[in-house]
Amino acid sequence: MKCLVIFGLIVAIFASIAGYGYLVFTDLTRPLPRPAFKDDTYWGPGDGKNYKPDTKIYDFVVDVPKAEIQDLRQQLNRTLRLTEPLEGIAFEYGFNTNALAQFVEYWRDKYLTKWNQRQDYLNSLKQYKTEIQGLNIHFIHERVSEEVAEKKHVYPLLLLHGWPGSVREFYDFIPMLVKDQNISDYAFDVVAPSLVGYGWSDAATRVGFNAAEMATVMRNLMLRLGHKKFFVQGGDWGSIIGSNLATLYPENVLGYHSNMCVLNTPLSILKGIYTHYYPEKVLRSRMFYDHHVGIWEKYQDLLIESGYFHIQATKPDTIGAALDSSPVALAAYILEKFQTCTSPSLKQDFGAIVTIFGLEAVLDNLMIYYLNNAATTAARFYAENTSKTYRDLQLDRVQTDVPMGCCRFRFDLPSASEWQLKDKFTNIKHNMYFQHGSHFAAMEMPSMLFNDFNEFVKKIGLHTE
Amino acid sequence: MPSAASTTVRILIGGLTLLVAVGYKNYRDLGAPGKRPNLDNNEYWGPQLKGAYQENKAIRPYDISVAPELIADLKTQLERPLKVHDPLEGIGFEYGFNSNELKKVVKYWRDDYLPNWSKREEFLKKFQHFQTEIQGLKIHFIHAKPTNAKGKKVVPLLLMHGWPGTVREFYDFIPLLTKGSDKSEYVFEVIAPSLPGYGWSQGASRPGMGVAQVAVIMRNLMLRLGFDKFLIQGGDWGSIIGSNLASLFPENTVGYHSNMCNNNSPMGHLRMLLSSIIPSFYIDSQYAQYYGGIGKIFITLLEEFGYAHIQATKPDTIGAALTHNPVGLAAYILEKFSTWTNPAYKNLKDGGLTKYFTYDQLLDNIMIYYVTNSITTSVRLYSESMGKAQQDLNVDSVPVKAPVACARFAHEIFHVPDSVLANKFPNLIQSTHYPDGGHFPAFQVPEQLYADFVSFVQKALKSN
Repeated sequence: MKCLVIFGLIVAIFASIAGYGYLVFTDLTRPLPRPAFKDDTYWGPGDGKNYKPDTKIYDFVVDVPKAEIQDLRQQLNRTLRLTEPLEGIAFEYGFNTNALAQFVEYWRDKYLTKWNQRQDYLNSLKQYKTEIQGLNIHFIHERVSEEVAEKKHVYPLLLLHGWPGSVREFYDFIPMLVKDQNISDYAFDVVAPSLVGYGWSDAATRVGFNAAEMATVMRNLMLRLGHKKFFVQGGDWGSIIGSNLATLYPENVLGYHSNMCVLNTPLSILKGIYTHYYPEKVLRSRMFYDHHVGIWEKYQDLLIESGYFHIQATKPDTIGAALDSSPVALAAYILEKFQTCTSPSLKQDFGAIVTIFGLEAVLDNLMIYYLNNAATTAARFYAENTSKTYRDLQLDRVQTDVPMGCCRFRFDLPSASEWQLKDKFTNIKHNMYFQHGSHFAAMEMPSMLFNDFNEFVKKIGLHTE
Repeated sequence: MPSAASTTVRILIGGLTLLVAVGYKNYRDLGAPGKRPNLDNNEYWGPQLKGAYQENKAIRPYDISVAPELIADLKTQLERPLKVHDPLEGIGFEYGFNSNELKKVVKYWRDDYLPNWSKREEFLKKFQHFQTEIQGLKIHFIHAKPTNAKGKKVVPLLLMHGWPGTVREFYDFIPLLTKGSDKSEYVFEVIAPSLPGYGWSQGASRPGMGVAQVAVIMRNLMLRLGFDKFLIQGGDWGSIIGSNLASLFPENTVGYHSNMCNNNSPMGHLRMLLSSIIPSFYIDSQYAQYYGGIGKIFITLLEEFGYAHIQATKPDTIGAALTHNPVGLAAYILEKFSTWTNPAYKNLKDGGLTKYFTYDQLLDNIMIYYVTNSITTSVRLYSESMGKAQQDLNVDSVPVKAPVACARFAHEIFHVPDSVLANKFPNLIQSTHYPDGGHFPAFQVPEQLYADFVSFVQKALKSN
């Protein structure tokens, strides 16, 4: 009789633990309602009490005073006192200083000498500025020609870059999007802004400008341009901002395409671990396994590559001061990411950047940070997005039925599988895996990204044949 | 009696007993002293040679004078318009080094400090500087002999700085150690080296020089100078290297005094976890506010260790960024003198930098990094010491036999209680707590550190 009581007691204890565990689990994983979000917060200087929005759209041209280029050349001409790499070391300890010296030399003696050509190239896409919520936003706006508009279904597309990228990433991608081609029946009016705090856009001067605020500004930018419904495409921060757009402003987003699909919820993390152990139960093809299996090695790699994230999220003004004060500092820090975002076989290769990206493209991108003194304001975005305010929004747990498309380049940051994504994105139309490519997809493989984006748009079925 | 239920109960009880027994055995094993690893006491760290290595054992006075061209170039750089952004509205040091304070520092550096450089250089020379070659590296050190040894016993002391410090931290501490006082019958012959890769000490040319290997170099330095048995004092990396030295070379260690005691052995980690769950078991309630437990450590790691993360993984990137970048270097290093002196200073617009330090003191320290161009080699210590190779040595599990003292200054980054240190420092004879002071006590409150140190020495040497 006593044994029965003890037995019953033990069962009761386990059952209550299990029950409580279930309650905690569902609380951590259930979808959350869409939060209300103020879409007209003033972000300009001062308190904005007498703020009258200037809704004009101004032409913008990159026009750097000669004196600035001269000064940069002078700074690059200081005797470098870089420390020799350790014996036998290439890029395992960070950006190799011998490689850095070569880049600095090229930058100074070859690149800057033809700066006018580079500037003309940057101006080959039409650019503008307009004021949104107190901030001047710079953007490229390339429209489809009348001829093309007659042959294609034309939609607006918001293209969002990340860090350490810029609008420069899209210079091979945009021409594909606006022209006539025989891949699809679609063409796009492309709006590619510099993010707030990046490139030629203003930076916020108050605490709190996070990825939800960024999404709001970008949506308001599109509305300003008369685009009430539009597509969004992005990688890196661009992907996260795009996700927030699809979440907070689903009525404006026709479709959201990402080349860095991540989802940081407790459930997604659990599913990711499960996928690592049982890929055959989750993934439709063996070709997808490499993207999701080996999760512990992937996290280890992430730990090795995320020092910049950690310092920018906690001490952006410190690292910003260092990078804004020295073009060589900026070069080392940013080039390191281009070096590592090639492929595992090229990471230690001194020719990686030249092979995958080309020197001009990478230096164009570097110039955009340098000329706009953007290192600090760009870094602050990390602090804002890891703040309690932003985390409390829990946007990754809010569902959206905006059509979603995901492509995963092989060597990019670890991505989420469809099984993970569908807890947030209830209307996934397109799901792609590439066996090549890395983080800077638009720069490295614009054609593949273009094809994939069109595949996604087709699958939404806006026009039945 | 229903047999199914009773069998189940028996199985459950039996299983629980087994679990406890296994757990207890593992716990005991976890705390067992580790094996001292084999290290090459003559490992060569210099540049590749064509022939065999011939160590030059000469000990030479070292001239720390700085070439005037370097000062002139520095001044030119500091005269450039500062390319910093205004801090976000209402922000002090919460986002890192406040640029308004940085402007003040740069202005002082350019307009007051540099024009006065010859005086600063003279001040830095107030101690005797030397260099000698150890295992392929030119090691710099200050050698300060007792100024008043009358009636006192002289004990050699190895004094080690950390990052982002230098020997400059000890300029007010050393005179207290060498002058002696009626607080102590001991007076000290101080050897204060620049760590390899820091200041005027050469950095390694090959990978692998972590804290254990630096401990070997430092011990060889003391042997070179004729000191077979010596005391060790250190904070930051100085404390960790000291702990390694005391673990690896008990025969040379008279006593080990640290202002940043830690226990990185598996047992240490386990006890740290337990002390967070049941603090009353592990922590003296009188000092409870000093110990935030594993929660505080975790938050501190997240909020304050971005620099360590990048230095441990990409030292050459951040090193290159700070090389020849005086404004960047100042922001990066001085941020630590603010936050690590007192984390509450993050809320201050000026970071509280001048509450305890003068700009001259702080800039002396920065200048040593700048003129020796050692920032890259200094941060490599992080990657070398935090990798798998160093962990595999498991010096953390080798207990320190010598007498040990742990001085805890309230605003240090985090503290580890005595009970958690037990298996690493079985001979912990002094444990103190101070309601003020932070990460740099020799720099900030040298008198307090001195009093604590001599109190320890008294106990340590009496027990011998």
